[in-house]
Amino acid sequence: MRALGRAVLGLLGWTGAVALLAGRCGARLGGLNGAELVRSLVSFGARSLGLAAGAGALIGATVVLQAGVYANQFGARLYTGWAAGYALLWEFGPLLLGLLMAARIGARNAAELALLTIHGQLEGLRGISLDPYRLLIAPRVVAGVLSVLALSQATFLVAVGFEALAALAMLGLPLRVFLGAFAEMLHLGDVIAGLTKSLAFGLAIALVSTVAGLRVEGGARGVGRAAASAVLVSCATIFGLDFLLTPLLAKVLS
Amino acid sequence: MLLGRLAQALRWERPSWKAVLQQVVELGLGSLGLVATGMAFFGMVIVTIAWAQARKYTGNITVVGPAYLELIIREFAPLLSGLLAASRQAAAQSAELGAMAVNEQVEALELSAADPLVELVAPRFFASLVALPALTIVGAMTSVAAASATVSLAFGADGASFANTRFVGPMDVACAGVKAVLMGAYIPLAAAYRGLGARGGAAAVGEAVTDGVVEACFGCLSIDFMVAAAFLPFT
Amino acid sequence: MDLALKEVTVRFGATTALEGLSRAFPQGSRTFVWGPAGSGKTTVLKCLAGLVEPSAGQVHWDGRRVDGLSRRDKRQRQRDLAMAFQTDALFDSASVLDNVALPLLRRGALANEATRRSRSVLRSLGLEGTEHLAPAALSGGMRKRVGLARALVAETPVLLADDPLAGLDPETARHVTAMLDALDARRTLVVSQPERSTWLSGATELRLEPHAGAEP
Repeated sequence: MRALGRAVLGLLGWTGAVALLAGRCGARLGGLNGAELVRSLVSFGARSLGLAAGAGALIGATVVLQAGVYANQFGARLYTGWAAGYALLWEFGPLLLGLLMAARIGARNAAELALLTIHGQLEGLRGISLDPYRLLIAPRVVAGVLSVLALSQATFLVAVGFEALAALAMLGLPLRVFLGAFAEMLHLGDVIAGLTKSLAFGLAIALVSTVAGLRVEGGARGVGRAAASAVLVSCATIFGLDFLLTPLLAKVLS
Repeated sequence: MLLGRLAQALRWERPSWKAVLQQVVELGLGSLGLVATGMAFFGMVIVTIAWAQARKYTGNITVVGPAYLELIIREFAPLLSGLLAASRQAAAQSAELGAMAVNEQVEALELSAADPLVELVAPRFFASLVALPALTIVGAMTSVAAASATVSLAFGADGASFANTRFVGPMDVACAGVKAVLMGAYIPLAAAYRGLGARGGAAAVGEAVTDGVVEACFGCLSIDFMVAAAFLPFT
Repeated sequence: MDLALKEVTVRFGATTALEGLSRAFPQGSRTFVWGPAGSGKTTVLKCLAGLVEPSAGQVHWDGRRVDGLSRRDKRQRQRDLAMAFQTDALFDSASVLDNVALPLLRRGALANEATRRSRSVLRSLGLEGTEHLAPAALSGGMRKRVGLARALVAETPVLLADDPLAGLDPETARHVTAMLDALDARRTLVVSQPERSTWLSGATELRLEPHAGAEP
């Protein structure tokens, strides 16, 4: 029972910290430090491209495998394209990429901020009347969100490509048929749903990892723990957001 | 790679069973919360998706229920439980081992006539082999329960359809089992490899955690795909 | 055990810690390794211990190349070495007693025997009463002494001590130097220090120069 209580308190603590951070970053969106923004975009986004592409390939192929099996049950192989696309856009693309990015971007961001904190560099900035939020923290958050959003799209494209290939190779489904069913049965609403989720997940990862990094308790162990808790809380948040957003988006977009 | 050296090291020395047990508890309980809640959320989400799909295609969600159960057991539970556990486990283990490596504790072990592979990696490895399949089962049960509940409560349809094992065969369970065991083997090895390889200072620990989790997660995705493909002829 | 370095060069990325160093450390010899920060003292000890592989050159244990040994062989021979680290490197999830007893337990000693000998070593270093504390509860100086205790407990033929007196008050430092000096003459000792010292009787010197770009 006590563990549950502690979990709830922890949750409240995190929510508060995240909200505070969001507010602080939001207030400074106007005057962000461009250099740091670009640097972070490269570090978080460009460098994660390979991972995202690889993930896209795997996700695409796996979704098709399972969707194919499923569609087979109903004797509807032709609809594999739709089933696969739907599942991908709505759910697996954003979710799986979210989890991976929580690892790559979240852990990295938390670790870097943790290091800056324990080496006193953030305090130092304040000491010379520079605003660490404007210079370092907020740009990283924005870069994180943008990176996740952009990477989701890249992953989606790669995934679709691999889905088509997998359908051809493993289920004997001609490319034209697959892509045709895909294009025909998916609507703009589906794409928007996926995008919205990616945006939400990206925001969660960026904010949570920043809070985790800034909360660091010193030493090499502290940095490790900060990165680890960034990943943990990001994942939990992603699943929670997924749960909240999916029915909401379903209602709004259909 | 690492597995080979681990196997070799184990030929000569055995890890203490107490240490393994300790790790099983830590791994199992540590990831339990995340897996259970995550999978519960997922169960509810998948119902929403099934509902939308069913409406467009068959018009009746109870028809797709059993098929979804099969999917959950065969695919979603192993993959998502695996990813969730991978994230938490790999992060925690890379952080711990990384900090030890950077603080010279691993070297101190080597010069205390102890083998880091046996002392540190082996208990976590065996524990993970046991804990991950257990977590997968919990994940599957939680998501099915959540799914059934959601169908009944939110959509007013027959929730039991999601628990109907009509389409679930031994091959599905085997597929899930193989995935869980392989992931259970891979995750601690990836985490340990990155953790023990950390050199430098606190920065190295951060990198070790990032790389460890990414590799563990990506490994789970790969294992999921390969096993699914391998089992394809058996559907 | 006879130790030797032959033309050993160690590079960490762009930094060169040691360059072409050759030196013999025969059984029973005592050597002071000294030099300013960044001159590679810790690296020398770690090479001798087999913890760091040279980028060039070889380390020899009793005339055999360390890099030519199988993993099992190397670990067997490594049991003849013990090292007290610069950063104490204590296992923070274990008590002081468990830390010190580990080298004995892993060499096959029985639990009672290991506990007895560990307590004895701790007592000789003035650490009586700390046995059940966690390393985090000790001061820096005490932790260093526990690290030294752990290195001494197995009475290995070779003892490597990396800056053992750092962080100790003068009284305790004197105590430790007396202890180390009184060790059996058949044991090989290699001690590193930032400055020239003479407290080890019968010791020869190895002076190291810092290299460009080395980090302290």
